[in-house]
Amino acid sequence: MIPALCFEGVTFSYGAVPALEQLSFSIAPGERVALLGRNGAGKSTVVRLVAGIQQPRDGTVWVGDWDTRDCVPEQLAWRVGSLFQHADQQLFAPTVRDDVSFGPRALGVGVREVERRTDHALEDLDLTAHAAHHPYDLPPALRKLAALAGALALEPALLVLDEPTAGLDRALSARVIRALLERSAGGVALLVVTHDLTFAAEALDRGLVLDRGRLECDEPLAGLLGAGPRLEPLGLSPPPVAALSAALDLPDRPVRAADAARALARVARGKGAP
Amino acid sequence: MKSLTLEHASFWYPATEAPALRDVSLEVAQGEIVALVGALGAGASTLLLVAADLAPRVTGGRLTGAVARRDRSGIVLPVPWTQASGMAFTVWDEVAFGPANLGWPAHEIARQVDRALEQLELVPLASRDPATLSGGELQRVIIAAILAMDPGLLLFDEPATELDAAGAQMVWRLMRRLAGEGKAILLATSALDAVPDVADRVVWLEDGAVRAVGAPDLLADVAVCEAGLGTSVATVWRASGLPGPYPPTVAHAVRRWR
Repeated sequence: MIPALCFEGVTFSYGAVPALEQLSFSIAPGERVALLGRNGAGKSTVVRLVAGIQQPRDGTVWVGDWDTRDCVPEQLAWRVGSLFQHADQQLFAPTVRDDVSFGPRALGVGVREVERRTDHALEDLDLTAHAAHHPYDLPPALRKLAALAGALALEPALLVLDEPTAGLDRALSARVIRALLERSAGGVALLVVTHDLTFAAEALDRGLVLDRGRLECDEPLAGLLGAGPRLEPLGLSPPPVAALSAALDLPDRPVRAADAARALARVARGKGAP
Repeated sequence: MKSLTLEHASFWYPATEAPALRDVSLEVAQGEIVALVGALGAGASTLLLVAADLAPRVTGGRLTGAVARRDRSGIVLPVPWTQASGMAFTVWDEVAFGPANLGWPAHEIARQVDRALEQLELVPLASRDPATLSGGELQRVIIAAILAMDPGLLLFDEPATELDAAGAQMVWRLMRRLAGEGKAILLATSALDAVPDVADRVVWLEDGAVRAVGAPDLLADVAVCEAGLGTSVATVWRASGLPGPYPPTVAHAVRRWR
């Protein structure tokens, strides 16, 4: 099977400032991958390379069987939906609906198909009631969801998202998680840059950690987030649920809230409730 | 000493019938950190705009009730790039923009800018162009630019959204230090797990009105958890079916568990 995304020895720098060094990894269709690391580790650069906004200096970025060097960003939009860090800057149409439908319209798919994709994306994120609003009349958190809906409406094989839950409360994050799990179950690969490890634990399975442009970790997220002492040198701190599991020594150290609640209940029954 | 007092404040945005704030009474004392929590649309951002004297003065709309400020206020808005001046080509100049507009003498501007850059660990970035910064770096620059004006009342709307774990920790620690120096701080945040270690008091807003006020363990209250505003630890505890009161933090949970 061809990976949805493959970095082969990718090196990139901004002028003299190195951003990525010999970065290699690949993501299979349907995989849910978190891209983690401190501010300035190179995470957003990865997003820009995948979207075709930047080209690698060395190495190759493969989106499916396309070399991004041979594609302009408009072509890549057939396969990649992106959410950039400042999602506000992605919105420009007079209504949320126009904005969300821009991608599929630009791809040139039929009118009915544009409608279907737009409706689906708006419904997935519970934005239907806001479809006729001007994006800038919405609070920043909903603007972010509107930009995400625009990426979903492309119905790409790969979603590359930069901080999709920054500034979102738990209820809005839950909408994002639900929409991403649904897309991934349909075979869409996810690469998500995030500092929100609570969200990462709930929505994603595999963790890549960048540190100063190098790949320091590539492993299942559950084990990584439960490994407290290893996180700190990477600029990460364990999310509260993982910290709770570790502090109470819950079996299997769950990192998702529902798993932790079940483990807590089981152990409490065993020891006769605290 | 009260830095900010709202008495029965209600606010309507222009051309809207339903108020965004309803009969809100709230005090923030010097040296105190008060956290506003609530669902989307609960009114936390609006309350900060009213406290900053931006609503209705800049936004338009209508305010009833009384708002009294003892100190000059500074507000950090939720999306940092919207707050950059766009008129500065170095981080140092960006941070100096506010104090320069206050008409301070040059040596005082320099003193405040240097101090603010140190507080936000931005000294190595002082000569960078703000347009080249990452989201987290720009967020720290905006916070520094507000601190450089030395406001007595600090208003923060989601100050940690763009920051990594270390950056967020630094900002929370800085807030405690500023409160220790006598600043009054009013904070709207969805980073509920940080609140117990940061805030002195929590105000739960619902539909524009104050639903409850309490110590930070309010975020482990049954009704707050039901509304989806409990801390992660309290939420897991509740979901496990264990009896209340729920622990708000890991440290509380460990004590309960023994």
